[in-house]
Amino acid sequence: MTSVPIVAARGVSKSFFGNRVLSDVSIALAPGRIHALLGENGAGKSTLINLLSGALVPDSGSIEVDGRSVRSLTPSEARRAGIAVVQQELGLTSDLSVAENIGLGAYPRRFGLIDYRRLARRAREVCDLVGLHEDLSTPVAGLPLGRRQLVEIAKALFREPRVLILDEPTSSLSAHEADTLTRLLRRLRDAGTAVLYISHRLNEVMRLCDHVTVLKDGALTADRSLEGVDASGLVRLMVGRDPGDLFPRWTPSDARETVVTVTGFSAGVLRDIDLEIRRGEILGIGGLVGQGQEELLLGLYGALPGKARKAAFNGVAGLPGSVMRANALGLAYVPADRKREGLHLTHTIAWNMMVPSFGRARALSFRRRADERALATALADRLDIKGDLTRQVQALSGGNQQKVALAKWMPSDPPILLLNDPTRGVDVETKREIYVLLRSFAAEGRAVVLSSSDTPELVHLCDRVAVMREGRIVSTLAHGEATEEAIVAAAMAAEPARAAA
Amino acid sequence: MSTPATERFPGFRIMNVLRSRAFLTVAIVAAVWVIAGLLKPGFGAYGHLRYLLELAAVIGIVAIGQTLVVIAGGIDLSVGAIVTVSAVGVPLASFAGDTSGIGAIAIVLAAATGIGFLNGLGVAFLRVHPMIMTLAMATFLQGVLILIAGGTAISAGSPVLSWLGNARPIGIPAGVVLWIFAAAAALLLMHTTPFGARVYALGANPLAAALSGINTRATTIAVYAICGFFAGLAGVLVLGMNGQGYVGIGDPYLLASIAAVVLGGTSILGGSGTYAGTIPGAVLLVTITALITVVNASPGWRSILFGSLILVLLLFSGREAARR
Repeated sequence: MTSVPIVAARGVSKSFFGNRVLSDVSIALAPGRIHALLGENGAGKSTLINLLSGALVPDSGSIEVDGRSVRSLTPSEARRAGIAVVQQELGLTSDLSVAENIGLGAYPRRFGLIDYRRLARRAREVCDLVGLHEDLSTPVAGLPLGRRQLVEIAKALFREPRVLILDEPTSSLSAHEADTLTRLLRRLRDAGTAVLYISHRLNEVMRLCDHVTVLKDGALTADRSLEGVDASGLVRLMVGRDPGDLFPRWTPSDARETVVTVTGFSAGVLRDIDLEIRRGEILGIGGLVGQGQEELLLGLYGALPGKARKAAFNGVAGLPGSVMRANALGLAYVPADRKREGLHLTHTIAWNMMVPSFGRARALSFRRRADERALATALADRLDIKGDLTRQVQALSGGNQQKVALAKWMPSDPPILLLNDPTRGVDVETKREIYVLLRSFAAEGRAVVLSSSDTPELVHLCDRVAVMREGRIVSTLAHGEATEEAIVAAAMAAEPARAAA
Repeated sequence: MSTPATERFPGFRIMNVLRSRAFLTVAIVAAVWVIAGLLKPGFGAYGHLRYLLELAAVIGIVAIGQTLVVIAGGIDLSVGAIVTVSAVGVPLASFAGDTSGIGAIAIVLAAATGIGFLNGLGVAFLRVHPMIMTLAMATFLQGVLILIAGGTAISAGSPVLSWLGNARPIGIPAGVVLWIFAAAAALLLMHTTPFGARVYALGANPLAAALSGINTRATTIAVYAICGFFAGLAGVLVLGMNGQGYVGIGDPYLLASIAAVVLGGTSILGGSGTYAGTIPGAVLLVTITALITVVNASPGWRSILFGSLILVLLLFSGREAARR
């Protein structure tokens, strides 16, 4: 079929705060085709979807609708052009009923009022399509996650889209529900709808899709028919590229005594985690986004209530139970969302560096300003934070903010560091500095736990990598055997051998 | 490759002080005093200004706790009720053998601190919104006061109380002396102790504070307890100045304390501000009240004028700067 694509991006680029997330990417969604979009976490998939649906405007390049270039596509224009998106984060209003959610924003009207009878009839039709047999007046809040996902899909179908974009639609669906969806998508394809399908489940992609676009670090690495491609080929396309000399040379350190052991540890979504953390090594935590990595760090840090059959921290039995206790046991935590969880943005750099000390010191003693200044200056020198330390932290770049979030733990000299995605949104130069710093921590005999959504970090920086899926550690790989292919395969539950088949 | 220390911490700059909100409020007060003194003979007299400061002392002491609570990201709507509890409670708590009256005052201050402590428990552990928690507490206290005191005014007379109400050591009213000491303690607490820094950390970003190892619950409880203590202290002063306590005597101090905090430049969103701004804020409030009293208007119009003036002042100086 050589028909004109309904919507296409031509050489689009997009940056956020100076970080380039998409560069010169093209994609064309043709009618009657199921198009797969693949890429690792942070490869730019969500940004590309947002550009195609008018939620974001590209910095350069153009979006074409029906062959005509549109300067800046707005969400309402995209809707009128028949583009519907099923988001990964559920965008439903939980207090409204199934029917109201499905019709939201496109209610059929009569005399200026909502025509509930027509709404119910048409909502019923689309619900039947996706296999949703619940009472339409049920509030969405009462449905389990998988059914809510189906409501989301029904909502997209309600608008009779010509382009249907699905962002990981099957991540919360049962096998039966996923089958129904597969049949539905084939039927839509045959009726001439263009479908863009994003999934981390390679088998699904192989079975369902006709064409594939692969993104890697915001750049296009493949745009081709799926015919003749096997799963291992797809993994290689996603991982691609040499890491270059971004990482310091990995040298194992001698100190290898165990400082933390937990057995049968459960907290939040975590199920039955067995973990050993050793001095002198960086333990990587990998996996797809939201598989319990953050919960694991917070659980170890005492910020998330949990239970363990057996636990010992720095020779003391039991879980910390509170952040203050964890600090006393020698743990420190650097959160992923530094603006919300790590820093006090409206306060100065020097003040932010002192916050853990404020928590530790006697409440009613006198602060020693001269000592604080000397310490802040020393920390800034060590981490190469330049300039005036009386500036507000919010004035700093992402990379420098991350350095402050790290620096504030240095004075207490913690033997166990828990780092949650410390290089997210950080420029390449600072990334390199942070990598060197982390290796030097390990060389000093500290234990570093590094959760990362950036697979090369896990491969080149870590002594061991624990891969998580659905709240469990599914695989622990030693340096050397932890290749990008192995980590991605473990994260997606595809054994490399099976994926190749 | 060390950066020189002067670049890390630029020295004291007079411009920073001149630009600060606290200084701005001082400047407004001074301007109002000068203009009113020129236009209205008698306004600028030493006796009148001294009287204004005495009135400001009560608001200022209540506002110590309010400033701390607001910086910590909360608000205390029970301070008015606690002032009343204290003003009515001191006469009731007096006992034989307590000739100076110190004992009764100590009991009442302990009770006021306890009330604040309960507020803090509710906010920190039951996770009740501070507005709801303290409003409920105020309503509860109001009920108790009506049961105990009813509509009668309760007179009190003890050496300490009459000293507070009438004495003028070196020409300064005792209430103002009390305020000076309380203010010094508050400023030291906020700006020179780790506890003070924790309060700012809690208000600016509670999540980051907790993850940095700050005991946010203990800090929250302490802040409300301190607020209760200072509201109680203000109640004692009110009783000394008035000679008697009655239900409703503390009511005006609720809004006044919040207005003084905000006029002084403390962010109502928490995390930034200083008591150094609240002090001129309190003085500014009583000055405006005095000016309105001078204008011969009915009480209704005075209220309207007062409210409008506060709004104008806030528009002029207290607009919440866009943050983040």
